[in-house]
Amino acid sequence: MNNGRSTMMLWIAATLGGAAAISFAMPMIRTALASMPPAAASAAEFLAIAAFCIASGVMLIKATARQVRTIAPRLMPEAVDGAAPTIRGDIVSGPIVRQLNTLASAWAESRNALQAQVQEVLIRHRVSEAEREHVEAILHSLRDAVIVTDGFDELSMANGQAADLLGFDLAKAQHASVDAILRDDTLRQLIKEVRSSAVAGKERRVEHIFQDNQGRAHSFDVTVACLPDSGTESGGVVTIMRDVTRDKEISQMKNDFVSQASHELRTPLASIRAYVEMLTEGEATDEESRQEFYSIIRTETDRVARMVDNMLNISRIEAGIVKAEYTDVNFAEVSREVVDMLTLQAQEKSIKLAVKCGPLVYNAAADRDMMTQVVMNLVSNGIKYTPDGGRVTVTIDNDDATRSVMVTVADTGLGVPPDALDKIFDKFFRIENYKRVAKGTGLGLNLVRHIVETVHSGKIGVTSEVGMGSKFWFTIPYEQDDSIA
Amino acid sequence: MSTNNPHQGKKILVVDDEPHIVRVVALKMQNAGFVVETAADGEEAYETAIEFNPDIVITDFTMPFMTGLDLSITLKRDQRTAAIPVIMLTARGYGLSKDDLAKTNIKTVMSKPFGPRDLLATVIATLGGDQSNAELPGAKAA
Repeated sequence: MNNGRSTMMLWIAATLGGAAAISFAMPMIRTALASMPPAAASAAEFLAIAAFCIASGVMLIKATARQVRTIAPRLMPEAVDGAAPTIRGDIVSGPIVRQLNTLASAWAESRNALQAQVQEVLIRHRVSEAEREHVEAILHSLRDAVIVTDGFDELSMANGQAADLLGFDLAKAQHASVDAILRDDTLRQLIKEVRSSAVAGKERRVEHIFQDNQGRAHSFDVTVACLPDSGTESGGVVTIMRDVTRDKEISQMKNDFVSQASHELRTPLASIRAYVEMLTEGEATDEESRQEFYSIIRTETDRVARMVDNMLNISRIEAGIVKAEYTDVNFAEVSREVVDMLTLQAQEKSIKLAVKCGPLVYNAAADRDMMTQVVMNLVSNGIKYTPDGGRVTVTIDNDDATRSVMVTVADTGLGVPPDALDKIFDKFFRIENYKRVAKGTGLGLNLVRHIVETVHSGKIGVTSEVGMGSKFWFTIPYEQDDSIA
Repeated sequence: MSTNNPHQGKKILVVDDEPHIVRVVALKMQNAGFVVETAADGEEAYETAIEFNPDIVITDFTMPFMTGLDLSITLKRDQRTAAIPVIMLTARGYGLSKDDLAKTNIKTVMSKPFGPRDLLATVIATLGGDQSNAELPGAKAA
């Protein structure tokens, strides 16, 4: 391109130079020819003129070309870094060179202006790219799924979370229509509605359920906001989808906890209130009845206190504010004490209670009261869910591999259905069919798990077969880190 | 204590899986001159209702085998027990829906804890006439 332009300029200069040379030589040729015979003079004149013209033209062309060559490189883009240098011509080429100098200066100015513009555009482009990368980096770092669509409902930006959630390929989805990439009718409709409203800042919030790839329903808090109009094109829409499934579950769990706690507390409170009223209204006509009523009130008051304790203990353990008092606990001793305490309860159902352990020492650093509570809860459950005439056996072992004491409470009871095994230690979880068999708060096993795992860094588990019985086990490490609260 | 009861000698079936509640309600009603039978769950209550043919049933809501609501629906479906009015005691802090109630002969829902005196007044009012649910003392039915 540049070479072509410079060649053309050389030819222009050469032609102008040749014409100037001829006009300069013509008076001298005419003087020489005047002294020759007419015929010869005519032929010679022609030849002389031609030869002179050719020679002069060639010389002039060469001279002019030299000058132009001097200028030409300065017109090349790589040479122009400011104003074009001025070149002096000789008497013949002076006017041409001056013209060329003017052209070169104009050309250089034009090039400089253009180059400045190009530089500015490049800088703007780089800034724009950097900003886009910055925004994309922010989008990708968000936990929420975000998609940005333009005024034509085509995707202009999205993050990986959105691609995963909505099932599109992020690399291929750029500028694709929302109709092509979003399968969800509600979301498509929402984006189009907000975009067509064309009110910058206007947003709509809805709660929407999406199915994930495994078909599980997730609740999302969806915010769709209209972006400002840039002036050259209508504004797009940003759609933010926040997964609130876990938040809702936690909220539901809290509601359930309050509801369940309220229900569980009302039952003993109902007894207390009723018996107090019977006493104050003289419905207990003899001393024996009165003593019985006092006893019931005391028992039910203890029950309320136990429930409140359980609830508080769970809450405190969950909040990390329980301080265990570690001593060297003999688990065989604790188990025998628990079995002694529950013997009467077992005898009512003709259930045999036993503790099995070898002659070794089964000690670990633990909070003794908490360990008693754990073994008591497991053995008591065993009695409750084992039919009359069954067995509940507590076995104590040392597991040197994990440097822990292992306590197993095995019963010959109803067993835990396979689908309930994962949930058996959850708060308020109760096996639906077994609610008929025995009362419970659904808090006992949850508290036990917290005591073993959260407070003592132990493990708890269950193996079971419906109709054959269950084995609940837990391990407590021989030593505890005193810093564990 | 039984002097103000115009329904002395009438039969009451008291149903609850909490023995202490059964005991205190039964005693209060006996003291008021009623003849009382008890049951510890819905299934047992239904069988007892067929044999005992009570004038009124006082039942807990949450019970093993058959809830108080299911018991009430079962009683309403059976011609032999369909006319027996039911008073429900519940520790659940919510009222039963109108749809639930429409399937039953539940006249009043009382929340636990309750006062035996209020319960007795409700029983007498229920047996006393054709009052609607809303007019009964302690009525919380939705």
